[in-house]
Amino acid sequence: MGESIVRLEKVRKTFPLPEGGTVTALGNINLDVARNEFLTLLGPSGCGKTTLLHSISGFVQLNSGCVYVDGEDVTDRPPHRRPVNTVFQNYALFPHMTVGNNVGYALDIAGARRAERNTQVGAALDMVGLGGLEKRLPRQLSGGQQQRVALARAIIARPKLLLLDEPLSALDRNLRQSMQIELKTLQAELGISFIFVTHDQEEALTMSNRVAVLEGGKIQQIDAPLAIYNKPSNEFVASFIGASNLFRGTIENGTVTTDDGDKIRTSASTGTGPITALLRPEQFSIANGGEIAAETGRLDVSIRQIVFSGAGYEIHGRTDNHHDVVASIAATHQALVAGAEASRKATLTYDPAAVHLIATEGARS
Amino acid sequence: MRLARILGSSGLTFYTLIFFAFIYVPIGLIVIYSFNADPVNMMRWSGFTFDWYKQIFGLKNAASEAALYIESTDQLLAAVRTSLIVAASTTMVATVLGTAAALAVYRFSFFGKRFYRVLLFVPMLMPDIVLGIALLIFFVGVGISLGIGTIIIGQCTFLISYVFIVVSARLAGMDRTLENASADLGADEWTTFRKIILPQVMPGVVGGAMLAFIISMDDLVITYFVSGTSTQTLPIFIFGMLRRGIKPEVNAIAVMMLLFSFTIAAAGLYLHRRKR
Ligand SMILES: Nc1ncnc2c1ncn2[C@@H]1O[C@H](COP(=O)(O)OP(=O)(O)OP(=O)(O)O)[C@@H](O)[C@H]1O
Ligand SMILES: [Mg+2]
Repeated sequence: MGESIVRLEKVRKTFPLPEGGTVTALGNINLDVARNEFLTLLGPSGCGKTTLLHSISGFVQLNSGCVYVDGEDVTDRPPHRRPVNTVFQNYALFPHMTVGNNVGYALDIAGARRAERNTQVGAALDMVGLGGLEKRLPRQLSGGQQQRVALARAIIARPKLLLLDEPLSALDRNLRQSMQIELKTLQAELGISFIFVTHDQEEALTMSNRVAVLEGGKIQQIDAPLAIYNKPSNEFVASFIGASNLFRGTIENGTVTTDDGDKIRTSASTGTGPITALLRPEQFSIANGGEIAAETGRLDVSIRQIVFSGAGYEIHGRTDNHHDVVASIAATHQALVAGAEASRKATLTYDPAAVHLIATEGARS
Repeated sequence: MRLARILGSSGLTFYTLIFFAFIYVPIGLIVIYSFNADPVNMMRWSGFTFDWYKQIFGLKNAASEAALYIESTDQLLAAVRTSLIVAASTTMVATVLGTAAALAVYRFSFFGKRFYRVLLFVPMLMPDIVLGIALLIFFVGVGISLGIGTIIIGQCTFLISYVFIVVSARLAGMDRTLENASADLGADEWTTFRKIILPQVMPGVVGGAMLAFIISMDDLVITYFVSGTSTQTLPIFIFGMLRRGIKPEVNAIAVMMLLFSFTIAAAGLYLHRRKR
């Protein structure tokens, strides 16, 4: 088939501001979601994640653009006639209905037969691990259980696409991690596409086939988690996802000379002009005082602070040219870290091939 | 320290007792004296009797006793019937219109919405006597003859406000994403209204209706102005009796009205609990 389950074409949505003027929640969004894909929308608060979901489920009127679900143009269809279901951020369970009636709602609306409906409700509740709780009211459930009811309610009619708006944000860390795995399993079992909203980057990276990073109503980058992490396409993505060391400067003969005066080696062989180099903290090693190979990159820093984080150490250093650098060093290098702490100095090394180059903001336009 | 606390708390207890006594002792006395056999001085206990209740219902002919003011039981029953008809009609009209207004203000955004909201509050805050005079002048000016019809219209003007406020309060506590959730699961607007919105505002609607009913049964000032000369509701009837002195049957009528109000309030509470 190859045809995508959702396609957004030049979708644009602005909201009027009470004091006049407008805010652009979505600016010309183009998006294709493949069948069976687990796509995560990631971005800071107010970047348009919810609005993007609403444009698919039909809760906002677009200024322009088209929305296709399963090949059909649904742009002008009201929400109740779109083959899409949603798990809402605050669950939105019907407080006056039992769990069973909440979960069975879509089937009741569709006019399913009683017996059929009841077995399906039972099956959906079993699937989320809440079998036998049909008679309870939503307020008699814990937050995690309510979340599962919302999930069961949204999947019972087997939509082609499930939209999840920060479904895990209200859960505590442990419950959240187990729900992440369950959601992933469920998605594989049901064989439906998920569009999942979160502002937790770790969650986005662990769960998705692809991640779309949003900012200011625009998709900054859409890619596989690894590519998003290692090859961010701009400085926003680089700094939003994970800790990052950004070195702005100009490149010549494969070496970036930063505006501060530091030199970063890269494996690039051509190109000159303004550029930003990215090094993730874990791409640094700490030199052991021995010979450093000529082709290895090095950065001498003075130590500002060393933090033990469980899996290793975070070294916060500063170059001679006053550029702050963060390096994470595995706990096995404890002795070297201790030495650095004593001398207040360290030499950090990195593989020039690991340096990712980003077109400098402003220089692009 | 400890002493002060005990004094403080016993002082508070004392205040609380006085507070409730002030409210409930007079009411308790009415109940007690409604069973007092003394026909002349109510405040002097001279034995237990059901006579006043019997008289109200015409079971005992007490025409010989000079103390009685109910010339005929029929008059009282007629007043009760008028009150019930008025209360039932106004409750129905005020509940439907008040609920509709509350839903409209909740659901739609339209020009001047805030202003409408204030307009709906005002009749409740307006002094009864002003509203009464205004209505009277209006009815007379337009040429509507005073009677049960004008009583119903007059009471509706402010009862709609009560229902509107009670239902609005209920709607304000409602989560709007529930409507989205319902639509998301395939329900059209009408189904969403029926299955999600209505069941949730129902306790508010029932509460507003009961409030309207009790207030209608009880209203004197506005009703007095717009009732004309030939129509009497129960409060007007009682008021008329009082002008000729406080007599024992009044106690009995008061006790029965009290019972009636309690029954409605209790039914309301029960329904409210069950609905939740
Ligand atoms: N109904 C509305 N009226 C006016 N502005 C709105 C409305 N809904 C959203 N916005 C604006 O549109 C922008 C995007 O909002 P949206 O709710 O999509 O953000 P979000 O990414 O979901 O944020 P969050 O992570 O906080 O949920 C914001 O600037 C917001 O203020
Ligand atoms: Mg949101």
